[in-house]
Amino acid sequence: MAAVHSERIDAGEPKFPAADPILVVENIVKRFETPDGVLTAVDHVSLTVAPGEFVGVIGPSGCGKSTLFNVIGGLLDGYDGTVMVAGERMRGPHPAIGMIFQEESTFPWRNLIDNVAFPLEIMGLPRAERYERARQFVKLVGLEGFERRYPAELSGGMRQRVSMARTLAAQPKILLMDEPFAALDEQTRLLLGDKVLQIQQQLRQTTLLITHNITEAVQLSDRIVVMTYRPGQVKRMVEIALPRPRSSEIVSSEAFGRYVAQIWSDLREEASRGLSDEEMGKLREGERR
Amino acid sequence: MIGSVAKHKYFPAALGIGSLFVFVALLELLIRVGMINRFIVPMPSDIVAAFPRVIVEEHVLQRFVLTAGEAFSASVLVTIVGVAGGVVLHRYNLLRLATETWVAAIAAAPLVLMYPLYLVIFGRSALTIVMMGFTAGIAPVILKTLEGLLATRRVLINVGKSFNLTPSQQFWKILFPAALPTIFVGLRLGLIFALINIVGVEFLINFGGLGQLINELAERYDLAGMYAAICFVILVSISVFLLTERLERWLRPVD
Amino acid sequence: MVETRGLSLPAARSWALPLRPVTALRVAIVVGVVVIWQAISASGWLYRDVVPSLLTIGRALYATLSDPIFYFHLGTTAYEIAIAMVIGGLSGLAVGLLLGGSRLLSRAYEAYLYYLGPCPKIIFFPVMIMWFGVGPGSKVAMGAISCFFPVALNIAGGMREIDKVLIRVGKSFRANTWQMVTKIYLPAMRHPVINGMRLGLGVALIGTLLAETKLSNRGIGFLVIQAYSIFNMPQMYALLIILFVIAIGANALIGRFGGLDDIKAS
Repeated sequence: MAAVHSERIDAGEPKFPAADPILVVENIVKRFETPDGVLTAVDHVSLTVAPGEFVGVIGPSGCGKSTLFNVIGGLLDGYDGTVMVAGERMRGPHPAIGMIFQEESTFPWRNLIDNVAFPLEIMGLPRAERYERARQFVKLVGLEGFERRYPAELSGGMRQRVSMARTLAAQPKILLMDEPFAALDEQTRLLLGDKVLQIQQQLRQTTLLITHNITEAVQLSDRIVVMTYRPGQVKRMVEIALPRPRSSEIVSSEAFGRYVAQIWSDLREEASRGLSDEEMGKLREGERR
Repeated sequence: MIGSVAKHKYFPAALGIGSLFVFVALLELLIRVGMINRFIVPMPSDIVAAFPRVIVEEHVLQRFVLTAGEAFSASVLVTIVGVAGGVVLHRYNLLRLATETWVAAIAAAPLVLMYPLYLVIFGRSALTIVMMGFTAGIAPVILKTLEGLLATRRVLINVGKSFNLTPSQQFWKILFPAALPTIFVGLRLGLIFALINIVGVEFLINFGGLGQLINELAERYDLAGMYAAICFVILVSISVFLLTERLERWLRPVD
Repeated sequence: MVETRGLSLPAARSWALPLRPVTALRVAIVVGVVVIWQAISASGWLYRDVVPSLLTIGRALYATLSDPIFYFHLGTTAYEIAIAMVIGGLSGLAVGLLLGGSRLLSRAYEAYLYYLGPCPKIIFFPVMIMWFGVGPGSKVAMGAISCFFPVALNIAGGMREIDKVLIRVGKSFRANTWQMVTKIYLPAMRHPVINGMRLGLGVALIGTLLAETKLSNRGIGFLVIQAYSIFNMPQMYALLIILFVIAIGANALIGRFGGLDDIKAS
């Protein structure tokens, strides 16, 4: 089991009391059967998220972050350990958790407002109320005016905002995001990061973000969990004491740079382990053929 | 100058249509001059002249309605059975794994050769023709329905799961709408195969609407009339094809 | 072969035969069909010989396959189809390459091919008879016309689908036209070419056989119609079975040979 460090670069009060966390992930172990034997994707990972907190989970490719995402979201089972949401043990997708996926996930056959209203439709809300609420969230993500458009008419960044509005419309206690901006270019990511910060601060939304992008993690999070390469464990927890409310301008500050450097020095070692592992794997694969 | 003409927006279309006119004019000339036997290839002018005669005397409109009716019946059958079949195969994995290759193989077989068999079973009637259309069109519908359902992107299914949808909701709100574009492609293929076989079998068994007309005119050695009828069928076929394309595009504002 | 998309099959239960579930289900279906067929046949529910017993069909099959005259007819049909495919295939290839290579030609003429494609070609048969006589010529013509369209369209489309970057690579190495065609275009177009051939074979088969059923005194199509006209149902079933086996087999062979395992691609 890895020792967990909690470090702060700027001294100060921890912003979020450790008591009453809304999400408790305890000792998750997830293994997979592969043709090459048993693969441990996630090895005894624990973390907590307090209400209103923004926690970023960062790690190299292959560190099990997506597995963790699917476990916490309830899409995977067959793991050891527990996930508790607001004190309740979780089995399967929980209405208190909203998931935003990495891939394109808007429904291409529905227009924007129908996409956002989808969870409300499932919940059985009457029509007028559904659309009223959906419109609020469309406005929240800044897509007012596009309600009747179809996803094919929107840009990638806009579509991810639609997915976000859809998930938020269900008003989940916890927002779980898996690299939602991976497919977008750097500048769009920074601007969307602004939007996410703004929304999160406005709604005081508890958020858990899985990403491999250090800048994004530091820009958005109150606290960052750094994971090791497979088998994934928590390497370090870093408090990000950058001021709130924040905007994307923060990326040019000195403190920002120091956080990024610190996290990269942790990550670099894991990432190069991952890279050489992958290359060895390809070599072996080629030899087998 | 040629370059700038060639780059004009309508040049290619004009070239295409222009070539057609030139070809027809050349044909007319060659036949009039006697280089092409007019009893093998009638003059285009005669063919055009035959149109009104054929339309009126041979009751082309009724024949068209008959063929269209057969095609419509076959299409309805194909849609219901085909889509249902695809859904069933999707739902029951084992059945799909056992029979999918068989369905694909049947799709590759010359099914229309069974028409003498159908003649025996259903008699020389519209039923034979409709069943032939159904047989020809069913396989692509089943296969495309299945393909569409299977190809639903994993992430969309996960969105459904993350909202805790029941299996029925998952099917009607996510799988089926996601599969619709592909299903329509299948329906269009099915309709076209059905239509081709319907007109073909009408011709072969000398029964029915437009296909039978061509056969009859051929047996009467009414050359100009026969060519006119063939042109008419081509026009109908093209129109149906265009219409289904339009319909498909209208039904999926998505792509 | 069917792609299983990462599914796990239910394990064969220990009390069952040592067969995989899929095979077991297939066997069950075949057995079921056989039983139902025999039941209908024996009951005489459909009139007379429409559903002959499997035994009679089997005998007819055997008789046909051991009849040298059958092979004469088979050879005739095969010969007609082969020539039809050569003519239709080569002209389709030429036209396809032309249209695929030139945007102007494609926009001017490809629409004709595209919209004439779904026309039932058998209606041209009387014209073919007038031009090529009542012998094999008209049948070959039918097969060739049928074969031409899918080949031309697939090749034209295939040429356009070639990843443009591959063409730029070839040009950056200053390959001449022949090298471009043999080393870049054709290898890159393997799939559309094979697919076009498969479709072409399918429709050439249909075109030729239908022509034979309409007006001929030899060939498999002729044999089928002959069986119909003397109401020799077992013979008709036997012929259809042989025909389907050959057609499906040829299709699968081309697909396997071309490295495509997906019969569904069209």
